[in-house]
Amino acid sequence: MDDRQPIIDVRDLVFAYGDNVVLDRVSFSVRPGEIFVILGGSGSGKTTLLRNLVGLIRPASGSIVIGGEDFTAMSEEARTEARRNMGMCFQGAALLGSLTVADNVALPLREHTKLEESTIDIMTRIKLELVGLGGAGDLLPSELSGGMRKRAGIARAMAMDPEIIFYDEPSAGLDPIVAAGLDQLIRTMQSTFNLTSIVVTHEMESVKIIADTICVLHRGRVAGIGTFDELAQSDHPYIRQFFARQPEDAGAVDEAYARSLTGID
Amino acid sequence: MIEVLGRLGRWTLRQIAAALAVSVLMVDTMVWLMVAPIRGKGFRWRSAVEHFVEFGVRSLPIVGMICFLVGVIIALQASYTLGQWGANRYIADLVAVSALRELAPLMTAVLVAGRCGSAITAEIGTMKVNEELDALKVMGLNPVKYLVAPKFLAMVTSVPSVTVIAMLIMILGGWTASVFVVGVETEVYLRQTVNAIIEKDLLIGMVKSFFFGVVICWVGVYRGFQVEGGAEGVGRLTTASVVTSIFLIVIVDLVFTVLFYYL
Repeated sequence: MDDRQPIIDVRDLVFAYGDNVVLDRVSFSVRPGEIFVILGGSGSGKTTLLRNLVGLIRPASGSIVIGGEDFTAMSEEARTEARRNMGMCFQGAALLGSLTVADNVALPLREHTKLEESTIDIMTRIKLELVGLGGAGDLLPSELSGGMRKRAGIARAMAMDPEIIFYDEPSAGLDPIVAAGLDQLIRTMQSTFNLTSIVVTHEMESVKIIADTICVLHRGRVAGIGTFDELAQSDHPYIRQFFARQPEDAGAVDEAYARSLTGID
Repeated sequence: MIEVLGRLGRWTLRQIAAALAVSVLMVDTMVWLMVAPIRGKGFRWRSAVEHFVEFGVRSLPIVGMICFLVGVIIALQASYTLGQWGANRYIADLVAVSALRELAPLMTAVLVAGRCGSAITAEIGTMKVNEELDALKVMGLNPVKYLVAPKFLAMVTSVPSVTVIAMLIMILGGWTASVFVVGVETEVYLRQTVNAIIEKDLLIGMVKSFFFGVVICWVGVYRGFQVEGGAEGVGRLTTASVVTSIFLIVIVDLVFTVLFYYL
């Protein structure tokens, strides 16, 4: 552990959809410049956690301190301002379908800066080169492959030179070769720009390669935090199961599931 | 009985929630349309112009076609009654007044709702499903500023513009039927038309079509933001968007007709 101030500090975060508690007192901190992986199975609440971190939804209680400021307590306007320091790559890339790839990358620059069009052009090209999409600027998102779309999404997230970047399932739905390429890109971005990266994923292969610190989420709670090697030694049953890629124990049928089958409360 | 009351109560609550959501959307749109540009937060003029072309100019062929035919139909139907009294020259009055006060604004609004209201819902709904709306927010772009405000301005200007042209074409349709089928003289038809119309007729048509534009845009946008869960949701709410629009257009039409009846 180094002793620098954490860049993101999450304390006792609780989030619920109605009565359904999705995140239950989640706490962790992220050091500047590291790749922090949020690992968890489907329905573990990891995407909800990410949406809380970028401020798309507000938690029921708890705090998210980013760069020394409490992100949860800010007004909507201050949050918009704070978000310029963050980039986010969505699971499906979420490029605007009506704009070309280059226009997508240039969009934050056009809307938030007063730069000359020629400067924006150059910056856009630099970002696209960075993610290996040099010649694809004039294509529409629908003309790109899945991997290229994700790369374009990363270029757009990088447009404003943020300090923090969030990746939602970067390798989901990609073949192993393309996924490995993306893992490499996430590493390169982090080492070149000293970029704090938060990656939400369930792919153990990429976790092994990219993660500095891993936070395992299980049913909305933190099951463990540590490096890959530390967690591999953990005796938390869920973490062991996850790392060993074992199926859910067939004998221990989930109580709620049993109830839903039988209809008996 | 209790169940019926319960349903009625839940239905009422849902409608109130919807009304609140639409009001928030209205206020937001107005702020981004009028206040924000003055404070130097910008307005996407280019997008507004592009949407004006899409909603207005590209609607002209179909609106023109339908309104011409409706003009022909009213003239022929009017002749059926008026002809019995030898009053065929009054076809011109009937066509002109109903075109300006009622039919041109209504037909234009219904067609634009079907063509563009649905497109707005589909566009925003698809963007929501693809997380594009979230992407805008994370980039610090307000979806209302980026998507809604330009569409709103384009809609409330294009619908009245198209309506004026629709009025003229409807009168042209009435003239065609009167002159070539019924046998009214062109000179008589034109004189009757000019005498029949007063400024108020045009004003009523314009006021109505402005509010039709407001309805089409807000219903389209609201339904778009309501989309949940994939392509199926987009389809369902696109249909709902057109149905709601046309329903509200008729209600607004009725309100203004009653209002102007007493004014």
